[in-house]
Amino acid sequence: MQSIDVSAVLRQAVRGYYADLVTRATGRAVREEIERAMVAEEPVVCTRMDFSGVRIIDFSCADEIVAKLVRGGGGGGGGGRVRVLVLRGVSAGHLQALEQVLEGHGLAVAVEHDDGTLDAIGPRETGARLLEELVALELAWRTPAGALALRTA
Amino acid sequence: MTRLVDVPGHFDDRSFDQFAGAFRQAMDDTQAAGGGRLLFDAHAAEWASPYGLVGLLAAGQAGRLPDGEKPLLTAPTNPEVLSYWARAGFFRAAADLFEIHGKVPRTKPAEDSAVLLPVTPVRAAEDVHDVVSHIQQRATAILTTELGIDPKATMGFAMALSEACQNIVEHAGTGGWVAVQSYDWRRRLARRVVVIAVADAGVGFRQSLEPTQAKRFGDRWGDAAALEAALIQGVSRFRDPGRGQGLKGIRNYVTRWEGKIAIRSGTARIAIVPPWDDDPPLQDGLPSFPGSQVLLIIPEQKARHA
Repeated sequence: MQSIDVSAVLRQAVRGYYADLVTRATGRAVREEIERAMVAEEPVVCTRMDFSGVRIIDFSCADEIVAKLVRGGGGGGGGGRVRVLVLRGVSAGHLQALEQVLEGHGLAVAVEHDDGTLDAIGPRETGARLLEELVALELAWRTPAGALALRTA
Repeated sequence: MTRLVDVPGHFDDRSFDQFAGAFRQAMDDTQAAGGGRLLFDAHAAEWASPYGLVGLLAAGQAGRLPDGEKPLLTAPTNPEVLSYWARAGFFRAAADLFEIHGKVPRTKPAEDSAVLLPVTPVRAAEDVHDVVSHIQQRATAILTTELGIDPKATMGFAMALSEACQNIVEHAGTGGWVAVQSYDWRRRLARRVVVIAVADAGVGFRQSLEPTQAKRFGDRWGDAAALEAALIQGVSRFRDPGRGQGLKGIRNYVTRWEGKIAIRSGTARIAIVPPWDDDPPLQDGLPSFPGSQVLLIIPEQKARHA
């Protein structure tokens, strides 16, 4: 599994110190940086993106980064390499933009909560299929309490 | 010859069409005469909303002569009004656009708790970052304590602001301005509100969308159809299917908090009208004004107000 610290990528991709993922230009720069990192690595099934250092993500950035990585429409060489995207460090504020954008595209991503359990955001059926796929790929397992969690080993 | 453009005494979104009409007449007269300078007369101004202030800047930008000569502006004579315009950051931005007549105070902008963001130029993505950064520091407390908005939803406010500013960067083809203020809206609503006003004198929605949308609308195509396509149908000039999310996000946010969004461009104005307002949802045939002017109003929440 590949792990990406989005806040660190933001600092690398954009001049000046910004804690907010806003504007399409910033989103594009961040996505292209992520795609470059993906090209440099062996292809992986699951990519985990950590949003904990990110204060705000607006609709344009949610579309430019998350939706395009999943949709594979970035055109930066790494597009389409993300088969399953797991987001962590996601706040209620981040969800506002992510949910709207993913719903609009009919796409889903998994969200890992602080307690390690998984949920999906995006259209309900697409999300359910994504979680099933995570289990089928043995990337996630069902906890005794019935929740899904990522296999970290 | 100098042509006069009266700035309404009470200059806000409601009196803006009167201002736009005077501006259009003066521009047409200037063109017919083969030249001349505009004089924006604000000496009798009693009050101006953030929408009025950024709209006046857009007019100043559009009213510049081809040889680069700036239009004239007579500053308000009322010391309180003058001081408020200075605190709101108007004169700092206006200095680049107008030859200002009258005594302008040297007050630093934003030394006023109601001014969440003084009039600020927006030209590039970096400006949007700075605006969002600034508003996060200033607005959260006001949105939660004064307007009773859930702290979790304050991020939505910054997102809406970001998207409204990005419209300039992505579509206007020129720079614009944004201002954010909170105030007690006694006459119209009897509640506190936070207002975001964004204006530019760029190409406007119709010209921006024309290459991809005009054919689809046929004879109906115009400023009103372009605004409808952008705000209601989420259409963008880009063919990328992810475009158009910003205005949709703003619309969802204002609807969630019983707020209002109104966009004026060219000769039309569209609004998502909350129950407390009586604005028409769509107006066409207004006096033509360059670029786009966006108004977002988030009112104090009713449960808290009751």
